Amino acid sequence: MVHTLQQEDLIQDADGSSKAKKFILWLFVVSSTIMFGGFTSYYIVFAASKGKGHGLVLPDVFIYSTLVLVLSSICLFFAAKAVRNQNVQTQKILLWFTLILGATFGYLQVDAWTALYQSGATLVNNNAAISVIYIVSGMHLLHIFGGLCIIINSLWGAYAKVSHPTAVYRIEIASIFWHFIDILWIYLYVFLLLNS
Amino acid sequence: MSTITLNDTHNNDHHDGHDHGHHKQSFITKYVFSQDHKMIAKQFLITGIVMAVIAMGLSILFRIQLAWPDKSFPFLETFLGKWAEGGRIKPDFYLALVTIHGTIMVFFVLTAGLSGTFSNLLIPLQLGVRDMASPFMNMLSYWFFFTACVIMMASFFIETGPASAGWTVYPPLSALPKAIPGSGLGMTLWLASMFIFVASQLMGGINYVSTVLNMRTKGMDLWKMPLTIWAFFLTAILGILSFPVLVAGVVLLIFDRSFGTSFYLSDIVMGTQVLPNQGGSPILWQHLFWFLGHPEVYIVIMPALGISSEVISVNSRKPIFGYHAMVYSLIGITILSFIVWGHHMFVTGMNPLLGGVFMITTLIIAVPSAVKTFNYLATLWRGNIRFTPAMLCAIGMVSFFISGGLTGIFLGNASLDINLHDTYFVVAHFHLVMGSAAIFGMLAGVYHWYPKMFGRMMNAKLGYLHFWVTFICAYLVFFPLHFLGLDGVPRRYYAFTEFEFMQKWVTVNIFVTWSAIVAALAQVAFLFNFFYSIFFGKKATQNPWEANTLEWTTPVEHIHGNWPGEIPTVYRWPYDYSKPGAEEDYIPQTVPYSQTMSSNMPHDFEGNAESERIQREWDAKNNPDKADVHFH
Repeated sequence: MVHTLQQEDLIQDADGSSKAKKFILWLFVVSSTIMFGGFTSYYIVFAASKGKGHGLVLPDVFIYSTLVLVLSSICLFFAAKAVRNQNVQTQKILLWFTLILGATFGYLQVDAWTALYQSGATLVNNNAAISVIYIVSGMHLLHIFGGLCIIINSLWGAYAKVSHPTAVYRIEIASIFWHFIDILWIYLYVFLLLNS
Repeated sequence: MSTITLNDTHNNDHHDGHDHGHHKQSFITKYVFSQDHKMIAKQFLITGIVMAVIAMGLSILFRIQLAWPDKSFPFLETFLGKWAEGGRIKPDFYLALVTIHGTIMVFFVLTAGLSGTFSNLLIPLQLGVRDMASPFMNMLSYWFFFTACVIMMASFFIETGPASAGWTVYPPLSALPKAIPGSGLGMTLWLASMFIFVASQLMGGINYVSTVLNMRTKGMDLWKMPLTIWAFFLTAILGILSFPVLVAGVVLLIFDRSFGTSFYLSDIVMGTQVLPNQGGSPILWQHLFWFLGHPEVYIVIMPALGISSEVISVNSRKPIFGYHAMVYSLIGITILSFIVWGHHMFVTGMNPLLGGVFMITTLIIAVPSAVKTFNYLATLWRGNIRFTPAMLCAIGMVSFFISGGLTGIFLGNASLDINLHDTYFVVAHFHLVMGSAAIFGMLAGVYHWYPKMFGRMMNAKLGYLHFWVTFICAYLVFFPLHFLGLDGVPRRYYAFTEFEFMQKWVTVNIFVTWSAIVAALAQVAFLFNFFYSIFFGKKATQNPWEANTLEWTTPVEHIHGNWPGEIPTVYRWPYDYSKPGAEEDYIPQTVPYSQTMSSNMPHDFEGNAESERIQREWDAKNNPDKADVHFH
């Protein structure tokens, strides 16, 4: 009697715990948003008190990187759909695309920094608003690295033939995080465009 | 049935050492890299206590300096070497002492030591959960905290000494590595330590919130949670919403320090050298810091408030007065705490209109705080009080919360604050309301849940000695400081003999220092009691305080998973003490209403018509008087 009860308990716990773990990720998303909120509030208060923003025309590379990131998110969306339909082959291909596009985004961001640097808008700058561009895109890039690791984890699962619920769980985690950093970047980019 | 049988086995097991039948664990997985929330709670507590003792030691050192600024104490040189050449503490080291004392007490003891210990221990135990949402993250949370402690302490072993810019590390002192000795490597270590600390707190806090929202046992709806859990839950939310802002601020500070950016720096001349940094503003750091810093003081006090609610209710043998009001006032404090940070910055040249807004929001916090205070007092009123050491500490907490809170009303007024800012009045205020109050809340928790943590009781007589000496001395230490502050004596000044108007306060400082030394000695009683009782204390019974909450339904001997059989179901709120008509003066949360027909009240059924009908019929048959009173 006791034994069966325990087993039922454990199964219940496992369900509850995967829900709770997903919730953990959402809370991380909240706290990460607030950190970027901290950076952008710095920017707003700085710009308001000095009467000037970064005053730059942002390099075009940022447009391309944004497009690439949006594209990667779309790929991931269809990859998640493939996982739910248990279509492993499509899942693999789409996840590879997501991964490559994510990495490309990283490359393009560095490219954008180079363009900024060459135009004279360096990190070490007497206009802190310009330094903020580097800080927010850099901190965002750290999130991209984290996101890539989570996508690799999901991709790895596809090759290791993990069970269907595990695969769904992994792709859900990856989706929440990757779409979040996608939206986060769009927010940051639009913020920087509007507050020049 | 099964629960009882298994309990007995576990009690017998104890004599053979620490082996539990079904969980063979190595020393490493059980005591070091444990993922069991109960062990992690103990790790947090003991680390917190060690850090508290260190921070208290530091405070005694600078109190010695304040009391006898011109006297030489050769033993100081023996211990501190060149930081106390000739037996006198150097000015630089004095600043390091106050900085690290504040940092350790606020973050390491009263944030990690308090929340870390009791959230970890009680959230799963009082909610009926086997373990945290992510036990692994929980373990990481502790080890990040431990690493942060080690890094912070490491700064005492470097040439230039620890950070010295005050616990708020305002730039430019913190941003220019060459400003003072403490701005060098010590400051870098401080920032690294805090970065890791924040990571630890976020991992912990996220875990607590997720566990509370997703994993409660059957029947445990939010309004049946003990007030401890409400407090820990809201504290964790505060942490999640405010600590990331500190990270943002610290990242910018690190770039200013190490890469030459100008986020916080402008127009600085060091010696004869004009620094290239232009355009930044140190005020922006203060905004980012206090956006965390103010919620942080509620992160410190709210768990203490929650613990006191529980301890006072249990030991008054009365339901907590105004349970819903207690919860709503906690929620009110949580929300308000985000819109008051400007009251730390009234003298930064803030627009008076903005200052007025911050003043109003600050003063509004007095409302939920007063609601809580009156509810504690109303709970005590005509209670059947048991003066356990935990109860004394909880009452002490209420006392400090009142006496320290009142001066908050002075300081919250911008016009008064301009006068009192950065004086000893502020020091007196926060040491009472958040220092002493939170410490006493923590001590109440330790005395109360010690049997749950270690399966043994602490010695009550030593507990009384510890409480009374600490309580009296805490007032003797902090109360006189108000008068220094009213006289305009600034905080953080090194030598009172250097200024004519401060000299008359040296005698008061001598008195305060002696009080502090006595208070510190009293902690020996606690430390001895704590560590001795782990091994040799009286064995605890399963429910030594006759409390209602779920943690007392678990076996005395810990098992991973907390309950040997099924997790108990919850039927009622946690505060059914001295319920009229009940056989005993407490009814645990696991007792269904069907077993307490003689004491059920109409509101117990929350409008469930069927239950009310059954009760009415029972009352009509067994207890006609009551039926008349409650069910017309």
